[in-house]
Amino acid sequence: MRNRIHSVTTEIVSIEDDVNNIKIFTLSDPDGWPLPSFMPGAHLDIYLPSGLIRQYSLCSDPNNKTQYMIAVQMEIEGRGGSSEMHNLSEGMILPVSLPRNHFSLGDAKRHIFIAGGIGITPFLSMLPDLISKEIDWELHICAKFGEKISCQSLLKKYEKEPNIYKYISHGGNRLSIEKVISKIKSDEHLYCCGPSSMINDANINGKALGDRLHFEKFGIDEHLEDAAYQVVLKKSGSVVKVPKGQTMLGALRVAGFDVPASCEGGICLECKTRFLAGTPIHRDLVMQPSDRKEFITPCVSSCSSESIELDL
Amino acid sequence: MTKNLARWSGEIVGLHKTPRSFLPMKNFRCLSLIAGVGIDGDRHATGEAFHSDRPEEGRQITLFEEETIDALLRDHNIILRPEDHRRNVTTRDVPLNHLVGKKFKIGEAILEGTRLSTPCRHIEQITGLELFNQLLNRSGLNAKIIVSGKIFTGDEIRMV
Ligand code: FES
Repeated sequence: MRNRIHSVTTEIVSIEDDVNNIKIFTLSDPDGWPLPSFMPGAHLDIYLPSGLIRQYSLCSDPNNKTQYMIAVQMEIEGRGGSSEMHNLSEGMILPVSLPRNHFSLGDAKRHIFIAGGIGITPFLSMLPDLISKEIDWELHICAKFGEKISCQSLLKKYEKEPNIYKYISHGGNRLSIEKVISKIKSDEHLYCCGPSSMINDANINGKALGDRLHFEKFGIDEHLEDAAYQVVLKKSGSVVKVPKGQTMLGALRVAGFDVPASCEGGICLECKTRFLAGTPIHRDLVMQPSDRKEFITPCVSSCSSESIELDL
Repeated sequence: MTKNLARWSGEIVGLHKTPRSFLPMKNFRCLSLIAGVGIDGDRHATGEAFHSDRPEEGRQITLFEEETIDALLRDHNIILRPEDHRRNVTTRDVPLNHLVGKKFKIGEAILEGTRLSTPCRHIEQITGLELFNQLLNRSGLNAKIIVSGKIFTGDEIRMV
């Protein structure tokens, strides 16, 4: 069970219906204290009451220090996160992670955004930032045939912006990603957020852009599927996959095992845990060589074998 | 050594608290210290700190040297604002690393240093700054409150 103090405590202050079965949640600190700040493009991990963890892009203005907004579309055939989100009500406490950013704005003269469906959300945190800094941008928003442009209530304030283009697929004006890419200059960046087909299209057509092409897929967080190694927990009989780029401690926490930890940098030994099998790579700065034969610090250390067994 | 130590006197240059883990620290002109508990309204006193699942008598209040902030800027070009280091009291001219096991007066209150703070990745997550290594051995002091009292920015800090 995740310990409440290891997350940011928010209260759902409002839930508003949007088109396409989307609900827009506004979260704030229960006492109105400022929330941890975030950068345009950031997302939150939401810790749902059932134990599920889901990622949603922040779609509010990063300059609003007391509120987070996320938009959640109901996915009938999803993995349960969206329907659980849609069943939450105003006034409930919702623990979330610190904002994290894998989709940040690059250093460009002009930013071109392509959003598919609910993929509009990260751009809604980027626009206020760019507008306040007077940096050029252009936004292409697509909707599936039979759907409307998502997050209309949040887009309303940009109604007068001349550089927003809307497309309904199969409705006669399908967006040509190829065309958009062909016009991108060398000091401009392209960002794409939407379904896999859209990202693939951008990837194929935008190869030449190199690291000026940024994208964010929604759906299953694929890197979580990409385990570097696994941790076998002897006492509880569980197996936890540690994805590339995540610490052993982080993966254990995500799986609901709250290992005591303090510095999370390998100097306090608070997280020191006995290992029973596997080949650890010790990265702490302070453990005695004799202890290293028996213990590991999951906050910084990993393993060179396919799995490591811990006495947990 | 004890003689020299007794000769210093420093001051409070910043006071901060926050009610829950991860939330930004807010600046206050005055904090109320409650003996054996912590700072009125701060996460360490209310059991709402990141480490409150492992309560520690010696972590009722935390202190940090302003000189470290200066050094980070001078030596590493890192701008660490007083609200970013997440300790409650920012001090000037106080040898915090020498105060473990010592009692000292701060405003109306008396504290006892319990252990040196260790840096924590948590601060990197919150500030987005790469700081951990730079804060090794100068991450401030944890203390318990022996005598309650109000403390204000500008108050003197000295040995009892
Ligand atoms: S938490 Fe400090 S060494 Fe792991």
